[in-house]
Amino acid sequence: MSIDLLVQALLNGFGLAMVYVLVALGLTLIFSILEVINFAHGEFYMLGGYVTYYVFAVFGLNYFATLGVAIMVVGLAGVVAERLVFRHLRHKTLNAFIVSLGLLWVLQASAQLSFGVLDKPVPSAFSGIVRGFGVIMSMERLVVTLSAIVLIVALYLFLKWSGPGRAMRAVAQDADAAALQGVNIELVSALGFGIGCALAGGAGALLAPVFAVSPAMGALPVVKAFIIIIVGGMGSLPGAVLGGLLLGCVEGIGSLFMGSAAVNVLGFLMVIVVLLVRPRGLLGA
Amino acid sequence: MRIRAITAIVAILLVAALGAPAVAQEKTLTIGVLGPLSGGAAAYGVELVRGAEMRAEEINKAGGLKVGNDVYKLKLVTYDHKALAADAATAANKLVHQDRVKYIIGNAVGATCNAAQTVTEPQKVLFAFVCWGTANLGPDKPHSFRIMLSQWEVAEPFYRWVKEKHPKAKRVAIISPNDTSGKDTNTAVVKALRGLGFEVAADEYYERGTKDFYPILTKMLAAKPDMLDVAAAPPGEAGLILKQARELGFKGLKGWTAGVNPVTVIGIAGKEAAEGVWSPANINVKSDYVSPTVRKFGEEYERRYREVPGVIAVANYAAFDVFTKAMQAARSLDTDKVLAALTGKPFDTVWGKLVLGGKETYGIDRQFLYPVVISEIRDGKVVDIAQVLPAALKK
Amino acid sequence: MPSAAARPAVGFALLALAGLALPLFTRDAYHLDVATTMAMNLSLTMGLRLQMSTGQINMAHISFMGIGAYTSALLVTRVGLSFWATLWIAAGVAAACAVLIGSLALRVSGPYYFLISFAFSEVVRLFFNNFFEDLFGGPSGLVGIPKPTPLPGLGLAVEGKLELYYLMLVLFLLAAVVFIRLEYSRFGLVASTIRQADLLAETLGVNVFRHKLATFVLGSLVAGLAGAFFVHSHQVLHSSDFGLEPMVLLVVFTVIGGTGSVWGPVVGTILLGVAVEFLRQLGHYETLVLGGVLMLTMLFAPEGLIALPGKVARRVRHRRTRKAATAVGVGLAP
Repeated sequence: MSIDLLVQALLNGFGLAMVYVLVALGLTLIFSILEVINFAHGEFYMLGGYVTYYVFAVFGLNYFATLGVAIMVVGLAGVVAERLVFRHLRHKTLNAFIVSLGLLWVLQASAQLSFGVLDKPVPSAFSGIVRGFGVIMSMERLVVTLSAIVLIVALYLFLKWSGPGRAMRAVAQDADAAALQGVNIELVSALGFGIGCALAGGAGALLAPVFAVSPAMGALPVVKAFIIIIVGGMGSLPGAVLGGLLLGCVEGIGSLFMGSAAVNVLGFLMVIVVLLVRPRGLLGA
Repeated sequence: MRIRAITAIVAILLVAALGAPAVAQEKTLTIGVLGPLSGGAAAYGVELVRGAEMRAEEINKAGGLKVGNDVYKLKLVTYDHKALAADAATAANKLVHQDRVKYIIGNAVGATCNAAQTVTEPQKVLFAFVCWGTANLGPDKPHSFRIMLSQWEVAEPFYRWVKEKHPKAKRVAIISPNDTSGKDTNTAVVKALRGLGFEVAADEYYERGTKDFYPILTKMLAAKPDMLDVAAAPPGEAGLILKQARELGFKGLKGWTAGVNPVTVIGIAGKEAAEGVWSPANINVKSDYVSPTVRKFGEEYERRYREVPGVIAVANYAAFDVFTKAMQAARSLDTDKVLAALTGKPFDTVWGKLVLGGKETYGIDRQFLYPVVISEIRDGKVVDIAQVLPAALKK
Repeated sequence: MPSAAARPAVGFALLALAGLALPLFTRDAYHLDVATTMAMNLSLTMGLRLQMSTGQINMAHISFMGIGAYTSALLVTRVGLSFWATLWIAAGVAAACAVLIGSLALRVSGPYYFLISFAFSEVVRLFFNNFFEDLFGGPSGLVGIPKPTPLPGLGLAVEGKLELYYLMLVLFLLAAVVFIRLEYSRFGLVASTIRQADLLAETLGVNVFRHKLATFVLGSLVAGLAGAFFVHSHQVLHSSDFGLEPMVLLVVFTVIGGTGSVWGPVVGTILLGVAVEFLRQLGHYETLVLGGVLMLTMLFAPEGLIALPGKVARRVRHRRTRKAATAVGVGLAP
């Protein structure tokens, strides 16, 4: 087994991990603020993908502008979902689980009926291969990874330094105390859900040219997101990044030595071990 | 006197009415269609339903299906089994016992076929599907049919052709989804490859829904294959595998032995990665080689559904055609008589000449056999380049 | 008014009567098939609800059905044992696996338990789907599993739809007796205390872990039993039969019915089970409408359907007392 192969395998795993981290961050943000596990999170990812298809592939707007549009559109959809549905389910995890499941079915079936069942390709805005040190990465993936990192950093800065960001962190820590301090819980809840969905939508927009879009595309990223959050720790941004890198590493190297099913089992075993040994995750609060 | 006359007239009229020859009456023939209509495998189920709808409507528009002295309006009852085996069994139960169908034409996803068969076989309901897997055809299942060529029919003629045209190609890497059809496909392809003297460089599976193939491809390409066969991968995933293989530097031969919709592949893989991909299992409704009937079917389908039809839609369209023709030949809807009418003489269908075969592989002739058309993707277009006849059609 | 002790007995009697009398109203094979599946789901959801009463959302519940199914199928086809033996062996094996898995999973609680049980369920599903193919059939699963042999002693054939329905009904009623009696016993009281305040329960001397484990193992035992029945009545087994989709449906049935009462899952399973079958004729639109039904039901009946009559009654009473109060206030103003 050559070093090149191992490094390539590692790179493969890391390659798109940052985008899955985006999805995971959206999920954990929603959970921290509303205490709700949004099973339909993957459908907002899918929405981002389809917005990209129609705005970039069909209409022809510049790719980065499309990314912005997708993030805003899906964020808005998230706010609507929160106002109509999820605000009634704050802290009611079980009920929210059932409702979000229903939402998942509604969104996926609607997407299928509106957009058709076949996979829709989205052309790459960036072509070409980058080679170096004996390993290969496509330009497209490089741009996607860098964009994801930019978004993660933006989120971090927003949460750390902005007013609404700090309000969100306060609510995540202790909703009652935050309310006593004058934080508008309703606003934070809507904003949090909206941003969470926007992150998923952004991830979908970033991966649309890489993987094409289809109504069921949201299923796998959500499972990955769950694994990332558990391993990294719920409610921790750096934890999610670490979890993403770890998962990528395990999948990349694992695929060299075993079949895909075994690699999947490995991911879930990782979850079980983490939950048993350190339930709050590697960097969780 | 009058009373006698009236009685006589009434009597004559009665006798006339009773003794009159049977007039053609309009009746309904309900045919069931099963499939995954939601979730990841929805593309298959939706195409099955569309193919069925189109043929059924054509027949109804032409006045109905004339079988013997009766004319039947075709009615379709469709259920979504969501690719779940238990659901398929319940849906089949509903079709057979509540909707009282004697024909279920159309189903996809291997495990659901096995489940539905536990209902259809004991009730002697004729069940036609596209599901792959050697387990779902056999002498113990005389009422089950596969309406689309599987890898057991296609792999050997295809690779024989490859060997002839490209004798330098020795190592072949294959990849399929990790489910019934994928397993079956890889097994059939490996058997064909070994029988023809090829080396199997890689025999891999991936979980359905995977989009990132870099990890698996890195392993496969390290074995230095001359040819990459995306075997049973559905169009979306096949396109991604080809695209990513090219990004990782693969420049060899490419095949898609179970390819069902090359047009989607071109879009997703990109022109360069899709260049040269051979598909022995699809039908290209826009090709210059197909009959006007197929082209018309393709245009009508695209007009209705705003998507290009894949081979599964064509398969079910053809299946409806074949079954209804068999009913007419048998002059009856009785499943035993229709069964007899199906086996034997060839039918003229959108595929060309079609006959039932497969005894060597399955022990019984229930596999639809039709010419295998090998197409190649050239410069973003699907071009038919060769035709191979299954043995049974060579007569 | 029946006493508190008699009420569950009345409920059970009604349920048993309805189940036994069903074939008098319909012999249609499809209806019996649906009823049989419903009886099986009832066994599963009542067990799930028992676990939920201690605060666990066990996403691996259906895995034990799978374990029971494979155990029974393999013992019958490979070892040649009789279904009537493997039925109970399968339940035992499922329970044994539950002791192992539960001991690990129950070390965490709340959303972490939800996630760890989900992870376990996926590991089990992937295990049966991909490993030891010669034994478990790989991605194609098992086919050609025989139906139950005639009942020993009585020689009664149990192959037809009607007989299979009665068999599942009997198995379900046995399980239901156990679940109902537990609910109305000290065990049930302890269970709900654990759900509401497990630390407090601990200080009162309750061994929380052992109680949770007991509900986990009991639910899994019944699931194993159901699995053995499933595999011999369906004759084919595939990993999708015990994957996320059917598990999620079980949770939906239980929660929509209402987790507050042992009758909640009964209401949920029967009503939603009928709804799902009814929606089947929508073909394409089935999933869409079902999703909508789920959302609306959960939003308007957050405690489940079983709590609805109570809620409505309370609203009516509340309005009546308010009206009475205003009448008094208005009529006799000083």
